Amino acid sequence: MRTLLKYTIGCFALAFFLACNKEGDWLDRQSQTVLANEQVMTDPKLIVGLLANYYDRLPGDASLTNRWQQHTSYDDAVWSGGGNSGDEERNSIVNYATNRWGLWDYVLIRDINLALENMEIYGTNLTDATRKQFNAEFRFLRAFHYFEMLKRHGGVPIVTTQLILGEDKNLTELQKPRNKEAEVYDFIASECDAIKDFIGNTGSNTRATKYAVLALKSRAMLYAASIAKYNALLTPTIVLPGGEVGIPAARANEYYQKSLDASKEIIAGPFALYKGNSNPGENFYEALTKKQGNTEIILAQDFLQTKGRVHGFSYDNIARGVREDNLGSSAIAPSLNLVESFDYLDGSPGILKTTSGGDFIYYDKPEDIFANKDGRLYGTVVYPGTTFKGSPVGLQAGLMVWNTTTNKYDIIEDNFGVLWGGTKYPGGDNRLITGLSGPQRTGLDVSNTGFNLRKSIDPAPGSSNRGRQSDMWWVRFRLGEIYLNAAEAAFELGQSADALKYVNTLRERAGFAPNSLTSLTIGKLIQERRNELAFEDHRLWDLIRTRTATTVWNGQSTNPNANLRALYGYQVVRPGDPAKHNKYVYVEMVAPRFKTPRFFQIQNYYSLIPQNVRDANPLIRNVPNPFH
Amino acid sequence: MKNCLPQRRTWSFISGFKIGHLKKLKVFLLILFSFVSSVLFAQTTITGRVASGDTALAGVTVQVKGTTTATQTNSEGRFSINGPSTATLVFTSIGYASQEVPVNNRTSIDVQLASSNTQLTDVVVVGYGTQRRATVTGSISNIKSTDITRTAATTTSGALVGKIQGITARMADGRPGNGTAIQIRNMGNPLYVIDGVPADAGQFNQIGIGDIEDISILKDASAAIYGLRAANGVILVTTKKGRQGKAQITVDGYKGYQDFTRFLKPPDAATYLRGLAWSNQNRGIANPTSINPTEIAKWEAGSEPGYQSVDYYDYIMGNGDIPQSYITAAASGGGNNSRYYFSVGNTSQDALIEDYYFKRTNIQANLETGLAKGLKIGTQLSARDERRHQTGVPGLDDYFNPMLSVFSMWPTETPYANNNPKYINNTHSVNINPATYPEVVTGYSDDIWRAMKGIFFAQYELPFGLSIKGTAQYNYTTNDVDEFEYTYDAYTYDAVNDKYNVTGGNQNPWRRKINRRIENRFGSVVANYNKKIGDHTIGAIAGYERYDEKNEWTEARFLPQNNTVRLVYFADQNIYNNTFDESARAGYIGRLNYNYKQKYIVEALGRYDGSYLYAKDNRWGLFPGVSVGWRISEEDFMSGSIGSIFSELKLRASYGETGSELGFPNNNTDGPTPFGYLQGYNYANRNAVFNGVLTTGVIPRGLPVTELTWVTNISKNIGVDFGVLNNKLTGTFDVFERKREGLPAQQNDLLLPIEVGYTYPNQNLESDAIRGVEGVLTFSNTAKAGFTYSLSINGTLARTKILERYNPRFSNSYDEWRNSQVDRWANPNFGYHVVGRFQSQSEIDKYPINNDGQGNRTQLPGDLIFEDANNDGIINGLDQRVLGYAQGANPYASFGFNTQFGYKGITLAIDLAGANMQTYYREFEAQIPFQNNGAGVAYLISDAWRRTDPFDANSAWIPGEFPAVRKDVPTHVNYANRNDFWMTNVKYVRLRNLQLAYNIPKKWMDKIHVTGLRIYAQGSNLFSIDNMEEFDLDPEVSSTNGLQYPQQRTILFGFNLNL
Repeated sequence: MRTLLKYTIGCFALAFFLACNKEGDWLDRQSQTVLANEQVMTDPKLIVGLLANYYDRLPGDASLTNRWQQHTSYDDAVWSGGGNSGDEERNSIVNYATNRWGLWDYVLIRDINLALENMEIYGTNLTDATRKQFNAEFRFLRAFHYFEMLKRHGGVPIVTTQLILGEDKNLTELQKPRNKEAEVYDFIASECDAIKDFIGNTGSNTRATKYAVLALKSRAMLYAASIAKYNALLTPTIVLPGGEVGIPAARANEYYQKSLDASKEIIAGPFALYKGNSNPGENFYEALTKKQGNTEIILAQDFLQTKGRVHGFSYDNIARGVREDNLGSSAIAPSLNLVESFDYLDGSPGILKTTSGGDFIYYDKPEDIFANKDGRLYGTVVYPGTTFKGSPVGLQAGLMVWNTTTNKYDIIEDNFGVLWGGTKYPGGDNRLITGLSGPQRTGLDVSNTGFNLRKSIDPAPGSSNRGRQSDMWWVRFRLGEIYLNAAEAAFELGQSADALKYVNTLRERAGFAPNSLTSLTIGKLIQERRNELAFEDHRLWDLIRTRTATTVWNGQSTNPNANLRALYGYQVVRPGDPAKHNKYVYVEMVAPRFKTPRFFQIQNYYSLIPQNVRDANPLIRNVPNPFH
Repeated sequence: MKNCLPQRRTWSFISGFKIGHLKKLKVFLLILFSFVSSVLFAQTTITGRVASGDTALAGVTVQVKGTTTATQTNSEGRFSINGPSTATLVFTSIGYASQEVPVNNRTSIDVQLASSNTQLTDVVVVGYGTQRRATVTGSISNIKSTDITRTAATTTSGALVGKIQGITARMADGRPGNGTAIQIRNMGNPLYVIDGVPADAGQFNQIGIGDIEDISILKDASAAIYGLRAANGVILVTTKKGRQGKAQITVDGYKGYQDFTRFLKPPDAATYLRGLAWSNQNRGIANPTSINPTEIAKWEAGSEPGYQSVDYYDYIMGNGDIPQSYITAAASGGGNNSRYYFSVGNTSQDALIEDYYFKRTNIQANLETGLAKGLKIGTQLSARDERRHQTGVPGLDDYFNPMLSVFSMWPTETPYANNNPKYINNTHSVNINPATYPEVVTGYSDDIWRAMKGIFFAQYELPFGLSIKGTAQYNYTTNDVDEFEYTYDAYTYDAVNDKYNVTGGNQNPWRRKINRRIENRFGSVVANYNKKIGDHTIGAIAGYERYDEKNEWTEARFLPQNNTVRLVYFADQNIYNNTFDESARAGYIGRLNYNYKQKYIVEALGRYDGSYLYAKDNRWGLFPGVSVGWRISEEDFMSGSIGSIFSELKLRASYGETGSELGFPNNNTDGPTPFGYLQGYNYANRNAVFNGVLTTGVIPRGLPVTELTWVTNISKNIGVDFGVLNNKLTGTFDVFERKREGLPAQQNDLLLPIEVGYTYPNQNLESDAIRGVEGVLTFSNTAKAGFTYSLSINGTLARTKILERYNPRFSNSYDEWRNSQVDRWANPNFGYHVVGRFQSQSEIDKYPINNDGQGNRTQLPGDLIFEDANNDGIINGLDQRVLGYAQGANPYASFGFNTQFGYKGITLAIDLAGANMQTYYREFEAQIPFQNNGAGVAYLISDAWRRTDPFDANSAWIPGEFPAVRKDVPTHVNYANRNDFWMTNVKYVRLRNLQLAYNIPKKWMDKIHVTGLRIYAQGSNLFSIDNMEEFDLDPEVSSTNGLQYPQQRTILFGFNLNL
């Protein structure tokens, strides 16, 4: 009996381990997140999920989420954020690397082509209309992405099907040469034409519509046209014999016309410039930041705070004095260069007036120096004496205390909120020395230029807080740009009256009198674009396509455009001179953290194609650009 | 002896069951001894106790020398033997050096035996069983509990450092509760197996140190029986079990005090301001009004109000004497049929930073009992509660900000506005103001691990040498993280109106709860056959086991509306994340042993192993191993005079294969991610808001990985074990190689155009090898008059060599010299060689080589001069050369020296540990003065090249150790050109433990009714001889900025009580 018990227990143990599961079952585990082709392509909701992924992967040189620090790599802003390393290098770029803007992302192209092809194979239950709509939307994303690669490298290989490695592993079948730069622009135009009537999404400004397609075409054709025209005017011109780089000047007008046609179709469409606020400055700020009922936005990358789809752009860039967190702020500090590029409302150039006759100009209020400027300055930049979200931002570098012994001003700068008095400053009258937003010469996360960013900074409470963050959207296309595209194309085509009409419409919204401009130059148009489209990822590309980057950013320490400047404001303490006492003065300087003049060289007009690309495909011309 | 019974009555706090049990034992022993005494009263009876350290040794053979009279010690270590008063007693026991003691007319003799973990007569735990050390043919190190517990480390890995050959170690981050990175022969993270069940590093490190009986380390082919994950060696832990005999009750504990071994120090205010003045002078910038000689003098004097420099190191880290304590109580014993071991222990360690601590409670219960003849069942139950408490400092790692603050704060600013502790000062960056770090201000962060593990086994022994054992394990681990960071205000003092104005603070509340649940299941059935037929001994093991793990993680984040309420509410929630991972493995185990007269030994072992990671056709693999041994000392020809030298001499050789699943937590080389063999799409990759609705993204997967399988590791080992002078001197030496074949790599001649948009999956293409030697030499002896001592030295040298790279291609010979890895030692550390310092401006002006790439216009006296290795007149990348070894890795060479002395109950143990061949590079705070607009490190300012007068640009230069300071110029070639001025090839020897212990004599202990009491004082990391001292950095720190919690210098006072 006992023996039986023992054997029974022994056998039970054996059986337990050996019998209950087959090996295959034990090692076959189920993934929680992998979906099969059939599952995705038969379910329109999952196809929209695929679109969500692709939209979110669309590149840009700088957006609110994607490499936003790039906004401080050119001439509109100085890096004022944290770190002695990392982004601080943006203040001392000796010259732009030849591969700085390189983008050879064919993974997204492959993923789009895969979706297009798999939808045909597996999406058998989709209606024809649904399939056509998705097909158009995938192709819009592909065209958008090709344009992004094109504006960096010139002609790239146009791949519209999946390149699948065969059983024989024949690599030459997979090697595609670069298309001509013009061919890729033509491809974008023809894709836009082919899809615009099928893409649907009517009324949306977060998924592409017919007008987003036209906006892409308007922008791309303008680029093609200006490259055709201005590359030929450059000495030396940048061309490759195969046309991979460079567009014949003869085609300029054709492209300008295509751009103008697309722009006109949009302007005739359901959009309208935002005019919800009677104050031109506030109105311009709202034009980008107001999401509800905004008639100007054609396509935007949206965010949604309640669902955790947020970003830290406001956290990183809100003015120090009004931030809602104890880390991060003021990283993008607009330069005096940008501030002065905004004209006075009377049409005169926007140079700020700081001195007169060997002495400072004494302003009653800090903001007086900015009086009568283009309203877009207010909408873009937080400057001394203004508020943000209803709170004063507190931009003041320090005090200028008249020293009766030396007959000069002593400059006092200190930490935020420190008062001029007590034991440290005996004889002080307890006034504020340095404002809560700086500027400070060496401080981190505080403006180094005397200015802060307003554009795209979220007005919602708590949005500059790390925990909550912001759901401000990133505008990819808006009507304001289309007006400027139309103006430029019309101007280049000799239709000056139309061109002036478009530009003056925008200027009028910014507070200028009607018909404030009566003549145009391409330089003036680029300046208008700088004013209207600052921090919207246009400045770099505008200078590249008009081939002016090499002159504007020529690396000379004597060139005020290549050196980013700051404006430090002080309150004057000079009781002996009531006309000056308690007034405000400004000192202009190169931003203290800015070290090296911007230097854009001719080889930067096209970015170097990465070595691994050239290694893997001998058809990619070894010299991608004659200046490399 | 008659007093024994009343003595035991004092045990009132022990449960009734145990008292009853003890009583019975005591009565039994009393009767036994009375009987022995009465019968043999007429003869000389010698009694005594044999112990090793504080542990009583049972089963020690006590023999009257030259006679056959012998006895064994009982479970208390006591013996009684008859013999002439002039006799000599010989004490022998497995695992201890034998000892001869003259009786010299004494009737009571207490003996201490020295243990030795290299004794060849020992029994060693090997995979799936034990073997006599004599017949072990693999390379296996072994360490016993007495050596493990001699430590101030709170984790198991820390306790092993320096004590055992084949282990390399580095404790880069010494924060409370952190483990030490240990590797076997530098092969990578090993596989841990606790009581026969695979475990992770956390389970290994956080086991109760007192509960460990034994740790074995399988380093060569002997690991092949663990198959697929055993490539980096296996660490086998066996927990304590009860021994037959009466209850043993032990209470062990210590209390200790810690301080940092070393840490960088910030400057005082005068040094800081003078440094700023020098920086402005060196950069040609005007000083602001606040920096002038008068101001500096005021700070120097420190007497005027508002001019008191703040030492933020002292403020944050205090002045040491931070407590650490450990207490554990265990009861063990057993009868004929059942054995038990119970323990409960608590480890507690505070950090130098206020309100930071680590605490752990462990419970272990190991039971086994016979159900019927041959049938035994048992269990090992364990549980732990492990918690780390920190304050809710902003930033994910709560330790980093306090360390950063030491160097980021300015000594000229105070933590509190107007030094009023009610008002946090709004310093230049308030989030690093340490006044915000106390828990009441900033909140808390709790990280709690709770684990319960049950191992259940049934073993049936058949009469003919076969036994079958079935084991099942269930392990449930949870990790709860509970973080609450408060909001607070910061103030600026208005001196005129005596008011405090809110000018900053933290408005960012942070509330996070993380829950991780890990469920491990393990089952095995193993048959074991052992038979001795004449001179032939055979053994065989066959088995099957499988293992899976489910790991679910959820994270919820909230934005609480106040600092008070700890419960979380849906209304405040802003993030919820959830992941689930699953893994499964299975394997068939086999091993055959054969030996002839214990002289010629052959072992073959193998495992057929499968992993869920690979595509179906590549899942299973066979990992065989074979080893042979020849005990030369058993040969007849060794019986002569040569043979008399060697009490033991064995040659061993082994060859074995194991696998590694590269690309998984144990490794960092690319490999398959789980389900890499599947096509299709991944759900939840990015998302987008379409028309106000959030849409979760779906992304196509890359090409399915169907060809890649595990990396095969081929281990070869040749070793020798020997014992001479009657095993007083023993040693083991091994030469080894572990070759890895099939390392994942891209097939680079299948050059897919980038335009295809996908990459070809990795294949098993490349190979490397770790080669090295290791050894241990131990001498233990008992000199005259009871003086025992042992000396042991061990060392390991193990280094990786790249063997094959798939189709390496180079554009020119320089490229090949610089970048080729084939047939070279891995991880060379490149940089510029510094050949000198500029002594003067005129030297710079005349210097023919372009040292900074900018015509030397950025150079100042004291700047580093780089070697122009290729003589082209300019310093650039082509001038770099190899300067050091791998950075942040475990040292290639590790060694330890362990020694113990014992005399009349006093023992002194010294453990030294050292290492060589590792490289540290200083960066950021440890390199750049005024890093991040902070005050930085004092010596970078005070010992820099500088002018005599910081306010006179024409004053003379004074040489210093460091380059002249330039604030905000981190890109200067002094720093940006990686060079050997900032690089150190670290060598160190440190005193890990110095322990002085005293066994309180029994006669005193009897009075307080205690069986044994040992007390000790111990110092850990008391000193270190190394080349990092001049930089105030611990030699094991790896973080290049030096902002890492270093090891502690600890003084402990402890006891081991035997009730």
